[in-house]
Formats: sequence, C-alpha cells, structure tokens
Amino acid sequence: MSTAWQFYISTVLVYLGVDVIACWGLNLQFGVAGLVNFAFIVFQAAGAYTAAVLTLGPAVPAARGGFQQYVGGAHLPFPLPILAAGLVGGLLAALVGGIAVRRLRSDYEAMVMLVVSLIATSVATNQVGLVNGPNGLSLVPKPLATIVNLSPIGYQWLFVGITAGICVCVYWLVHVVTSSPFGRALRAVRDNEQAAAALGKNVTGLRLLAFVLGGVLAGISGAVLVEFISAWSPGSWLYPETFVYFTAVIVGGSGNNLGVMVGALLVPVAFLEATRFIPQFGPPGLIDALQWIVVGALALVFLWFWPRGVIPERRRRFPRPAPAEAEPAPPVRAAP
Amino acid sequence: MNTLVPAIGFGIVTASILAVAGVGFTLQFGVTNVLNLAYGDIMTASAFVGYLVTSAGVSVWLALAAGAAFGAVFSVLLNRVVYTPFVRRGTRLFGMIIVTIAVGLIVQNGLQAIFGATFFSLQMARPASVHIAGMVFTTVQLAIIGIAVAAMLLIHLLLRYTKLGKAMRATATDPDLARNCGVATDRVIDLAWALSGALCGLAGVILVLNVTAFTDTTGAQFLIPIIAVAVLGGIGHPYGAMLGALVIGIASEVAATVFSPSYKDVVAFVILVIVLLARPQGILSEIAARKEVAA
Repeated sequence: MSTAWQFYISTVLVYLGVDVIACWGLNLQFGVAGLVNFAFIVFQAAGAYTAAVLTLGPAVPAARGGFQQYVGGAHLPFPLPILAAGLVGGLLAALVGGIAVRRLRSDYEAMVMLVVSLIATSVATNQVGLVNGPNGLSLVPKPLATIVNLSPIGYQWLFVGITAGICVCVYWLVHVVTSSPFGRALRAVRDNEQAAAALGKNVTGLRLLAFVLGGVLAGISGAVLVEFISAWSPGSWLYPETFVYFTAVIVGGSGNNLGVMVGALLVPVAFLEATRFIPQFGPPGLIDALQWIVVGALALVFLWFWPRGVIPERRRRFPRPAPAEAEPAPPVRAAP
Repeated sequence: MNTLVPAIGFGIVTASILAVAGVGFTLQFGVTNVLNLAYGDIMTASAFVGYLVTSAGVSVWLALAAGAAFGAVFSVLLNRVVYTPFVRRGTRLFGMIIVTIAVGLIVQNGLQAIFGATFFSLQMARPASVHIAGMVFTTVQLAIIGIAVAAMLLIHLLLRYTKLGKAMRATATDPDLARNCGVATDRVIDLAWALSGALCGLAGVILVLNVTAFTDTTGAQFLIPIIAVAVLGGIGHPYGAMLGALVIGIASEVAATVFSPSYKDVVAFVILVIVLLARPQGILSEIAARKEVAA
C-alpha cells in the first residue's frame, strides 16, 4: 500500500473512531433515554477545547510572540487531557441538563438546546480571550510524539491503535450501561414517563445521569479528534454538525449500540468521505451544499421507511407473570 | 441618550419584521403543533423569489406579493407532501423536529446550490431618509413598518371577526372538539399553513429589504429571534407574538448600541431561555396544554 493511501485510511479510521464514540454518547441521551439534545456538538467542542488547552501549555502573551490566547493551559501527559475533556463534558452536561432537563417539556427542551448551541458558538467566537475566538486553537502537540519517535506513517497507525483502544473502553461502558437495570430504567422513562414514575423511578435523576454520561462521551470524542488534527475552531462545531450525528443514530438504529456504530460508519464517514472522490464540478461550495442536501434527505428517507434504523433496537420481552390462583381470568371478549 | 433614541428607531424596524414572522410562526405552531424549524429557510427562499422579481426589473411591491404568494404555496405543499404524511405515519414530536430540520437543511442548501454561496441584494432605488422625533428612518424602513402594521391589523380582523378566524382559534385550542363541532379542521389547517406561509414569505422579503446583503443562511439566522418572539408571547398566541416582537426587537437593537453589535442576537437567546425556564407558557397565556401533533 502506498504511503498516501496509508495516510488516508488511517485518518479515516481515526475519524470513524471519533464519530462512533460521539454517536454512542448521543445514543445514550437520545436513543436510550429519549432526550433531544440539539446542543450535542457543544459538549464535543468543550472536550476538544479542554484537551487542546491542557496539551498546549500556558498561553504565551502576544508580546513574546504568542499567536493565540486562551485561559488555563497546562502541559499534561497523554491520557490526562482526554480524561479531563470527558470530565469537562460531563460537568457542562450536568450544568446545562440541571437547568434544561429538569424543568422543561420535551419540545421546549429541544428548542433550548438549539439555542444553547448558538449561544455557545457566539460566546466562543466573540470572547477572543477564552479560546482564541474565530481563529480557534492550532498547533496542539500530538500526544506521545516526542516519546515514541516513530515515522509519520507509523505514528498515524499508533494513533489508530489509541483510538481503537478508547473505542473498546467506551463500548464496554455503554454496553454495561444499556444492559444494566439502569439502562432498563432509562428505556422505561423514555417509553412511558408516567408509568416509570409510578413504579418509583426517579425520572429526572435517571434522565440527568444519561445526559451527563452522554456529555462525558461527547467530550472524549472531541478530545481524541483535537489531539489528532491539532486544531479546533468555532467553524468545526456549528449546530448542523449535531444533525449529522442525529442522522447517524437514526440511520444506524436508535437505541442499539451496534446499530449506532454502523450508522457512524455510514453517515459521517461513508457519506461525507465518499464525496472526496467525486471530481470537483460546479462553483465552489456546490458539493458542500449537495452533501447537506443528501444528509437531510437521508434522515427523511430513514424516518419514513426505516424509522428504527438499519439494526433496530432489540424488542425486549419479559415472560408474563403467572395469574394468581384465586382470581378468575377476565372473560375474553371477541372484537366487534 | 443620543445613541439610544436612534437605536429604538432601529428596534421598531426590527420589531416590525419580527412581528410579521413571529405571528406567522406562532399561528402555524398553535394550529398544527408542528415545530417548523424550516421556517427561517422558507423565509430565505421567499426572499430569493423577491430577488428574482426585482432583478427582472419589476417593482419592489410586486416582489413583496410574489414572496408572500410563494411562501403560502410552498408552506401548504410542504405540509401536504411532507409533514402530514409523516404525522399520519406515526412520527411524533421528536421525529417531526428532525423532519423539519432536514427540510430546512435541504431548502437552504438547495438555494446555495442554485444561486451560489455569495451575497445578494434587492435591486431598488436608493431610499431617502426621514427624521422623526430624533430617529432616522429610510423610506424603505417606514414602508416596512407600515406593511407590518397593516398585516397585524388584517390578522386581527381575520381572527376576531371572521368565521375562519373563529374556526382557526377553535382548532388551535382543541382540534378533536373542533372537528366534532363541525369545523372542517383539514381545511382550516391548510388555510393556517397558507396564512402562516404568506406571512413567512412577506417577512423574508422585508427582512432582506432592510439589510444591505443576504445569503442562503439569512433566514435561518433569524429563526431564533422568531422562536423567542413566539415563546415570549406564548406559543399559538398572535397578540402575544406582536408584543414579544416589540420587546425583543427594541431590546436587541438597544443592546447592540449599549454593549456590542455582536451581542445583538444573544439578547433574544437570553430572553428565550429565561422565559422558557420561568414561564414556559409565555407572558400572555394562561395554560400550557401538552398537545399531540394535529394531522
């Protein structure tokens, strides 16, 4: 395999890993717990900024040749920035969810999330001192690069390995969560909030926990991405990006971790990468526009024909409890 | 003080555009309960129709009519061809929100694919400026205010004094009961989409009349202030939306002058979030009914 192809394939694999982690996070919120988080990309962005700042080191003032300004800044060794990004994603989710998920009915919740996404972009762009405004952060040092001393292509594959390792850990986490009694309670809240509450489930607490877990995964996915591409700016996380993840979750099979993984492979990776191989035609921006049209159409087609996705969520059946002896079974009446 | 009075003037112009757009949005949401997030993009599409009319050398007034007509026809078709079939197929609130975002993305990027990702402006004569009580308006802005006031009056007369208005209010309050009382709710819903679409189209054209240049995302950027207006007034309440438009229009222009122009939209966002948290039923509404989507 030529070096160029190896570079390309390893890059796509890292993107795939990032998208899969993000989709698992969104699936916990949307697929399992039924929360409509249209600000999902904000939590990914928060993780990415955190990881970038904690890898870049303290900001250099412009007077001494620094070209970007941001708050915080530290030189943390490799896995720490990613873990910190997960932590920040989770804390931010606890803060936003604590206000929005606790208090609002679902359609208003969706609206507030959309607004949160726009406010976050506006603040990150206009408060230049926070994370370098519209130019964003760049030249984030690659993790372990100075220690392992690999050739550029070898490093690419090392990063694929790191991403795969993180994916395995995250999969284990989401699998444990969704197959545990906690996951069952979340699905109960999603399917029938009143019934779950009547059975003594803490509806708000369960939702909030799912929201925070999703935020943690979003943060981690952003951190892995920024450590790989070394740059992050407000242009990377405009609110339509959230819609791509929603489409991926719906296409793959909302509520099913494996399905969502397939969705991440199909939508953000296959659909958005495949256009690289189409020869450029028309005025600049035409292919981008067509790409978005296709993603929108894909969401519509799947919601119409396969609303449960490529790999639907398994229908869970429980054995009917044996009827009590003393009580006679109610007479069965034929339907008129 | 010197800068505040002109800012209020700008605020009144913004409020006029917001009122037309917000009343259209809230009417349609109130009657059908579909949160139509493609609304901003339909505004942009209507603005492009207006652009085509003016670049053909026809008067701006005809561009307004064409934009409104396009908005009405497009909205009715969108509801008939996309939204209603999805609702009948069992797509509920979450699904419908995603459907409307998908439609919005398709419309917006369709416009970009057709017209290209550049700036456009409507062809018209350079307007004169008029001084009123320390505020400066261009004649175009005065026309915008006039159009908005006329549209609001018409909506008021329609809702209060016609049978259709009564039927619309009945359908908004309880579609099943209205149907049982002999209201042809299907037709009322179609008419609500047409009316809301016409206001949407009108708002799209007057929005781009008031700015120097517009792109395929102009309407979508205006969507959040529109939602803020509708929520502030209580969703489904046209009079509340009119009041909400006045509050948000003036507050955002004053904030732009006092703080920084980049925080103009943040005011609408903050008002929206505070209202949703403190009083989700809006300032004028007494009840917040949890309704299903009306097909």
